[in-house]
Amino acid sequence: MNVSAQTPGSWRRILGTLALAVLLEQLPWSGWALVVRPDFVLVGVLFWTLHQPARIGFGTAFCLGLLVDFQDGAVFGQHAIAYVIGVYLVLYLRLRLLQFDPHRQAAQMFPILLGVQTVVLLVGWLAVNPPAGLSILIPVLGSTVLWYLVALFVRLWHGKGAQDRA
Amino acid sequence: MAMPGQLMFARGLGPTARLLIWLVVGVSLVVVDVRYHALDGLRSGFSMLLQPVREAMRVPGEVATELTGFFTRHRLLQKERDALLAERTQLLVGVNNAKELARENAELRKLLKLQTRPGQQVVHAALLYQGHDWFAQRLTLDQGGGAGLRTGLPVVDADGLVGQVTRVYPGSSEVTLVSSAEQLTPVFVERTGQRGLAAGTGHGLMELRYMPAQTDLRPGDRLLTSGIDRVYPAGIPVATVNRVSRSQSSPYLRVDCLPLAGLDRSRGVLVLIAEPQVTAR
Repeated sequence: MNVSAQTPGSWRRILGTLALAVLLEQLPWSGWALVVRPDFVLVGVLFWTLHQPARIGFGTAFCLGLLVDFQDGAVFGQHAIAYVIGVYLVLYLRLRLLQFDPHRQAAQMFPILLGVQTVVLLVGWLAVNPPAGLSILIPVLGSTVLWYLVALFVRLWHGKGAQDRA
Repeated sequence: MAMPGQLMFARGLGPTARLLIWLVVGVSLVVVDVRYHALDGLRSGFSMLLQPVREAMRVPGEVATELTGFFTRHRLLQKERDALLAERTQLLVGVNNAKELARENAELRKLLKLQTRPGQQVVHAALLYQGHDWFAQRLTLDQGGGAGLRTGLPVVDADGLVGQVTRVYPGSSEVTLVSSAEQLTPVFVERTGQRGLAAGTGHGLMELRYMPAQTDLRPGDRLLTSGIDRVYPAGIPVATVNRVSRSQSSPYLRVDCLPLAGLDRSRGVLVLIAEPQVTAR
């Protein structure tokens, strides 16, 4: 059984990282940084869904999605729906994702993050009006890079090499 | 040990069922919000909750600005001060002139028995947060209903029209930018006086709509608010014409405009609050 990626996730640690994600999102981002800004909250939620599925799941994702909706002045439910779908995808691919080293895991997360952002796009499209171009998909790159860094950090924290010795 | 009649693996709902439940909740939220606008209370609640957090998260940036500002060279400051003093003198001359004109205008209006224009009050507001919504471009300001803001008020900066207040919370408010998609602004061309309708494109640009093909328009023309809608006061600079092109398929010109206000740069803006109409005595 592969328990290498199971971090001892206490409630304090989980809530701490999620609060940090919300705080980072509150920074006054602008210009290019705003365009590529990773979705900190989404990465946080999906990370804990992957490692602590019994604690963090659909409910948390939905509530944090509502918070992000407020933050962006978007329709309520837009990010909430997308985050819930992201959680489902991660749960579905969980055993597979846990086997990979950070960069492969990030590569696997890319389509999931892309899917989540596409749902945001679709819900906004159906509910409000057509989006102005596809720049909405750019933050996915930032989120993937963030995922890679987080996964790498966790792995190094546990004293394992950055790559699988295979 | 599993007993007969007892589930060996007691478990809750599977992920698919949970997903479906949350999706139903989500979709109903979207419908309730878009169709019935019933969630403004929730928005206000979030705003109360996040307001102090946002204020706090501005501190690092402000400290950095303070620090870099501290090390600005003395010489530079002196130069800036001289420039500002010169500008102030010039502006004072202009203000005297304007006072004189206003007095004359008031007298002429009295002679012509025209209604006096409503007075104006301004509220300074600082940019608190820039939204990340791709469907309508919004800013969050640090002033709200407490400072007398209402939805629909125009927001300007030193260079021109920024947008319109669209949501008001007790301590903050949201502004939809003029360049936001489907945001319409009635304007006129400064050089010719031709009236038109400027619309945001959603890419930080604007276009002037429904201008007949023979309209006299040149790149560089300034567009000012016409004041016809009674939302914006007349004469606020909105945009400059960037490119005028004629299309074969449409009877109208395609006019691309560049907003004048620093939509993505200005940190401080003014909200114009029109005072109630002053009745002529």
